[in-house]
Amino acid sequence: MNNNLNSFVVADSSKCIGCKACEIACFAVHNKNNNVGCTVGTVETAVIPRLYLVKTPSVTMPIQCRQCEDAPCAKSCSVGAIRQIDNTIVVDQKKCIGCKNCIMACPFGAIDLLPQYDNGKEVVQFNLKEESHNGLEEIVKSTAYKCDLCIDNGEQACIKTCPNNALRLVKPLDEKKYKNKKAAQALMNTTKNYKQL
Amino acid sequence: MSIINIDKELCTGCRRCANVCPVGAIKGEQGKVQTIDEHKCVVCGQCVQICSSYASQFDTEITSIDLKLKERGMLEGTKEPLFAAYNMGQVDLLKKYLSDDNKYKIVQCAPAVRVALAEEFGMEFGKLTPGKMASALKKLNFDRVYDTNFAADLTIMEEGSELIKRVTEGKNLPMFTSCCPAWVKFAETEYPEILNHLSSCKSPQQMAGTIFKTYGAEIDNIDPSTILSVAVMPCTCKQFECDREEINSSGYKDVDIVITTRELAYLIKDMGIDFINIDDEEFDKPLGEYSGAGTIFGSTGGVMEAALRTGYELITKKSIPNIDLKFVRGGQGLRTATVEVGDLNLNIAIVSGLKNVIPVIESIKEGKCDFHFIEVMTCPEGCVSGGGQPKLLIEEHRDVAYKKRKESIYDHDSNLKIRKSHENPAIKKLYDEFLKEPLGHKSHHLLHTNYVSRKEI
Repeated sequence: MNNNLNSFVVADSSKCIGCKACEIACFAVHNKNNNVGCTVGTVETAVIPRLYLVKTPSVTMPIQCRQCEDAPCAKSCSVGAIRQIDNTIVVDQKKCIGCKNCIMACPFGAIDLLPQYDNGKEVVQFNLKEESHNGLEEIVKSTAYKCDLCIDNGEQACIKTCPNNALRLVKPLDEKKYKNKKAAQALMNTTKNYKQL
Repeated sequence: MSIINIDKELCTGCRRCANVCPVGAIKGEQGKVQTIDEHKCVVCGQCVQICSSYASQFDTEITSIDLKLKERGMLEGTKEPLFAAYNMGQVDLLKKYLSDDNKYKIVQCAPAVRVALAEEFGMEFGKLTPGKMASALKKLNFDRVYDTNFAADLTIMEEGSELIKRVTEGKNLPMFTSCCPAWVKFAETEYPEILNHLSSCKSPQQMAGTIFKTYGAEIDNIDPSTILSVAVMPCTCKQFECDREEINSSGYKDVDIVITTRELAYLIKDMGIDFINIDDEEFDKPLGEYSGAGTIFGSTGGVMEAALRTGYELITKKSIPNIDLKFVRGGQGLRTATVEVGDLNLNIAIVSGLKNVIPVIESIKEGKCDFHFIEVMTCPEGCVSGGGQPKLLIEEHRDVAYKKRKESIYDHDSNLKIRKSHENPAIKKLYDEFLKEPLGHKSHHLLHTNYVSRKEI
């Protein structure tokens, strides 16, 4: 049985300076289909990152998806738009109907529902229109956005771009083994000292 | 409103701007909104380049993006995200003038613009597009598309002659270049005691402006008072420079409006010009003709290399053995060399990054500096990395973008037929018909300037 727990990105709040470089990098690598190149001038859509800088009087750090093993967002999705691919929880934006169940289900606020863009243009809804002064008008389609660990790029843009090395990829099993070793070492040191007394 | 500003609503207090500021002009506590000490600020715009704190289109608690565009002098409908650190734009103002047929509109473009502008349209880093740029500027309704590179060649004629004069007379050595307005402002603010070491040459932008409104007006038979002189620059400090009070020796303000590389891209998009597919066009002649020496001004070491190519030949009357002076190229903050020019051993230094000039200045004050000629550029790689250049979305691209822009500058140089400023036929003609000689009466009046102490006592 696969015991390979999903990895996820966390920020160290003692290192985070709140510059939002992670948000910009996240947006840039996920919007190549919207003609976003390497410079700010190529951006013609709203900036939609998949991690969110949180700033309170006591803490500054970005929050993003934990890639939960029994993902409540996926469980709540009525159309099966959220799936696990290669140990990553991914939204299929074509299937997403914008029902917001995932937003309600996620305990971390790691999912947002915002306009969808294709080729730099807003995607309009297929079958719903809005009444206005000029008659029926098209409505922009919204879709769920969440961290996919840069599944198409192989490396996480936020981690790579952080100027203060505040972000890291947590591999839960490695984390556990590392802590086991540290605990063993600590215990050994304690026992050694004890014998000397 | 200053030229460089920090938007209080958007600043998160990360202080990355303060870390890149070469003069410590950005003040504030970590996590709090930062402010700029306008007196200290050299307007280099490196803070504009590094800032990543943007206005989210979905944040309803901040001033609307439309209002922010207006406050920043940007064009209505500009789509790119807005960041906390920004420079006050001139493009909205320029757009109004462009449709004014009573103005004779002349534009000049700095060498570093043509190696970066294409990045704003999704082309690869450093893509060289002088022809597309000239073509787009013509479509924007400019009457003459001239070039700062031409004036860079002119700067070499004057500055090279000035260096020779100073070395011969042994006066005011070392001589510093004066092309970089942020460096000039820094010297005026922090070290007025060394101002006599700065070359008295105006920068290429200002030389171009003066020549357009005098010689340029003559050859086109235009009343200079109707000329609108516009400069497209990689630099945010060039607006500060063009607004200096003493820069009006043509009888008018030499340069009226400066826009950045980024602002030119806004304008091209606003006018619906298909930059990627536009056909190449030439710059107008004669004031748009340039040599390879003029074009390398955009990179650190470029002014030095251009000056050496011409200086060597003026002094020795012989052809320079190797035109590619690779020992002055590179990226270190301070590079030094000794160059044999005839009987003279010329000690030179190239400084990039303003912090690196301080030890050099201190050594002059102690009487221990034996350089003859020093190039200083405020920005880390020279103008290619200027504050008005395309801004990168991802930090890891910074080094590669700057490297590619520099490579393109040197490629452009090596592919041009004429690579020495004094061999530029339009420069020769300008001296024959108008200026007569470098450092002559007319040159002195039009192309040279003086500096003022800005030190607070």
